[in-house]
Amino acid sequence: MLKFTIRRLLVSFPQLVILSLLIFFLASLMPGDALSGVIDPNIPAEAIERQREMLGLNNPWHIQYKDWVVNMLQGDFGNSYFKKQPVLDVIGDRLTNTIWLSLFSAVLIYLIGLPLGLISGRYNDTFLDSVITGYTYLGFATPTFMFGLLMLLVFGYNLGWFPTSGSVDANVTPGTFEYVISKMYHLVLPSFSIALIGLVGTVQYLRSGIIETKQKDYVTLARAKGVSESKVYTKHIFRNSIIPIAAFFGYEITGLLGGSIFIEQIYAYPGMGRLFLESISTRDFSVANVLILMYGFLAIVGALLSDIILSIVDPRIRIK
Amino acid sequence: MTKSAWSRILFAAMLSLVLVLAACGGGDKKDDGEKKDDKDTSDKTEEKSTEGEFSYEDFDQTVANTGDPSGTGTLKVGYTSDTPFEGTLNWAFYQGSPDATMIGYFDEAVFSMDADFQYTQDGLITYEVDEDAKTVTFTLAHDAKWHDGTPVTIEDYVASYEVIGHPDYDGVRGSDEGFTLIEGYEDYQAGKADKISGIEVKDDKTAVFTYKELAPSLTAGGFWAYAFPKHHYEGVEVKDMAASDQTRKNPIGIGPYKVKSITTGEAVILEKNKDYWRGEPGMDGIEIKVIPSSSIADAVEKGDVDVALSFPTDQYPDVSEMEGVEWLANIDGAYTYIGFKLGEWDADKKEVNYKPEEMKMGDKELRRAMWYAMDNDAVGNKFYHGLRWKATSLITPYHANWHSDVEVPEYDPEKAKQILADAGYEDVDGDGFVEDPDGEKLEIKFASMSGGDIAEPLTNYYIQSWKEIGLNVVKTNGRLIEFNSFYDMVGEDDPEIDIYQAAWGVGSDVDPSGLYGRKASFNYPRYASEENDDLLKKGNSTEAFDVDYRKDIYNQWQELMVEEMPVIPTLYRSYVIPVNERVKNWSEEYGFNEDTLLYRVGVDE
Repeated sequence: MLKFTIRRLLVSFPQLVILSLLIFFLASLMPGDALSGVIDPNIPAEAIERQREMLGLNNPWHIQYKDWVVNMLQGDFGNSYFKKQPVLDVIGDRLTNTIWLSLFSAVLIYLIGLPLGLISGRYNDTFLDSVITGYTYLGFATPTFMFGLLMLLVFGYNLGWFPTSGSVDANVTPGTFEYVISKMYHLVLPSFSIALIGLVGTVQYLRSGIIETKQKDYVTLARAKGVSESKVYTKHIFRNSIIPIAAFFGYEITGLLGGSIFIEQIYAYPGMGRLFLESISTRDFSVANVLILMYGFLAIVGALLSDIILSIVDPRIRIK
Repeated sequence: MTKSAWSRILFAAMLSLVLVLAACGGGDKKDDGEKKDDKDTSDKTEEKSTEGEFSYEDFDQTVANTGDPSGTGTLKVGYTSDTPFEGTLNWAFYQGSPDATMIGYFDEAVFSMDADFQYTQDGLITYEVDEDAKTVTFTLAHDAKWHDGTPVTIEDYVASYEVIGHPDYDGVRGSDEGFTLIEGYEDYQAGKADKISGIEVKDDKTAVFTYKELAPSLTAGGFWAYAFPKHHYEGVEVKDMAASDQTRKNPIGIGPYKVKSITTGEAVILEKNKDYWRGEPGMDGIEIKVIPSSSIADAVEKGDVDVALSFPTDQYPDVSEMEGVEWLANIDGAYTYIGFKLGEWDADKKEVNYKPEEMKMGDKELRRAMWYAMDNDAVGNKFYHGLRWKATSLITPYHANWHSDVEVPEYDPEKAKQILADAGYEDVDGDGFVEDPDGEKLEIKFASMSGGDIAEPLTNYYIQSWKEIGLNVVKTNGRLIEFNSFYDMVGEDDPEIDIYQAAWGVGSDVDPSGLYGRKASFNYPRYASEENDDLLKKGNSTEAFDVDYRKDIYNQWQELMVEEMPVIPTLYRSYVIPVNERVKNWSEEYGFNEDTLLYRVGVDE
């Protein structure tokens, strides 16, 4: 297992190098740079040119790439031009928020999704099942941004149960219990908006897995042995039907870490998705490049994670 | 290849296809959503337009709720923005306007300004100009303290120049006349001198600045307007200042409220500064939050915020009837215009190369005809509900004292056609579009920026208007262009652009040479003439300290611009701001008024 993991990580290294080259090359093709948005008659062109020179933006892209890589190997990921601070600090601020949001959403997705899938698979073609599958179809068809806006309107503004924007109440002191509570309170709406739509895949996969598995011979055998019905489902069927979900688990986690552009925008939640969008529209390439590289890395880790989880859930894969 | 391997590849291919389709589907849906919104608002507009349009002149600029503030309570300010604020909270280093807004609540300018955007003597620092000696004496006129209790000295004001002019300073400031005209500044900036030789500190309260020459722009926002807390940054290198905790976590200032806590990107909490030099502030504190444009109106209606800064003007018609809220409005310092490419930028000489005879739009009569074909009053009313209106001169009414009501072409398509015919533009081949006087096909490429719901229909409207007088105008690249690319293309004099639509924000100083001067890289039409050079030079000369003289010069310049038409100003604009009725003494009026300064603002409990 360890050998497998190490091998996978080694293979991912050249992938990251190619990705970083691609990012840099494509970014160099994009019109404008961090300073092209500075169009202010009070700032003479010479001042902007001086800045470009200072930031090395006038160098050809392969030189910029070399500088970037060399600095990065020394642990310096560069500075964000707009935020006037190191890229890692910029990302760090947002990452914390995004991790909270992803964690909450992931927990909700599985907490709600698994029981729903289980019920709907076990009692397939009943009224209950129709209600659940009906919901999943609706979920598939609803765009996230619309659902998010609807939730914001109903629970944020009309009913006023939850805060409508931000990640925390600005009045509480960081580090206190109140602070944590306030953070969670702010997470309820955005994470439910992500989860209630995001869980439909899980429900569907689990449902069809269960329906398929429960006709298998070993299940019939288990029943014939006199295993109780609930045990048949929790022990024998569930474990086998969860394989497709486990296969996606790694991707799901790393995907959530990338942040949700729509949800973050709607709830003014300062997370990674918005940071990515901002850094592209302001041509803050030092941030954007590191972000894309990080997403690439996350995708690789996600695949790895999925494989590991799969091998835990399904021993057959391990043997191969 | 075995069958099972194939099916896996097929499955993978199908999966990616599904993903692509799903992505497209998502995008389409979003568009639909937006279009629907668009339609809703336009329907409502039609209803309203029968009742009459809005005009900023019908609004008050100060709330009706006036009188002494109670000294207690908290004002909740919403700043409308779809991006978090950056958090570079110092006047010398900030980059975006969200940051500037935040700083403005805890640190104030040391000078006061009148409605004409001229510095006056009501601020913390007063100034005295000696025209003969070319010096300005700055005097700290009152005792003030920084938020940490340290007294403000004139050294703190001088420190601003030393930090911004420092060779390691990596911000965009420090290149305008307020800096470069100071004796010895350029040597200091280049690292050749340790001190700015033209700045002499006499004592704790007085400093004398010597200038190479004096320009009226100095007293119209040219002097740097903020003190820099030198002691607060003790031990921090200039290059590290912007990213330091002193800037990002515990910034200080001299304003009536001081920073209590900052939630990065989201909110700033301020508390009363009892030592404020003008007197005790009117409230316990202020909370400023960033609110996305999609929910700002709801936040105001619910009372989550008392004041919404940068309120999206296009939402106003839908919420104008909101209860418990007073709407204030004023004119915005900006104008939209259509520019004609009349030359190109000469990078070697660093000046514009005006060559109308070689350019498609070089014929003044053609430009005049296009002006007559545009109905900008209708554009203002139909697209902007009257909150934008037809522009005339390039000096906007925001600079009320300098704006001249020059006569400009009124909408008259028949006259436009006549002008074209007289100038020899005729439809030779009968395709409905005129050919140029040489009988060549004339296709005008129009570059316009994307962004907002109105951009596309407005562009199409102009193209339609010009079509009606027989001009074939097409969009550059066949579509609207994203902001960064747009200015990249316009700045590089891309041959795909003959005309373009853009906007300028105007500063406190009326001097337009940064936009229309021969040496200005922002002179995108690339227009230059000796008369223009002469007027712009006179307008910012020492003689122009005489306001009447300067007015006369700028009147002449405004007329010249209508005569020469390097650009057509299309729209002036106003902004609206909702203020909860519980807020006292809030004002959007320009100029200095002791009664509505921030420390006089209060809230009813």
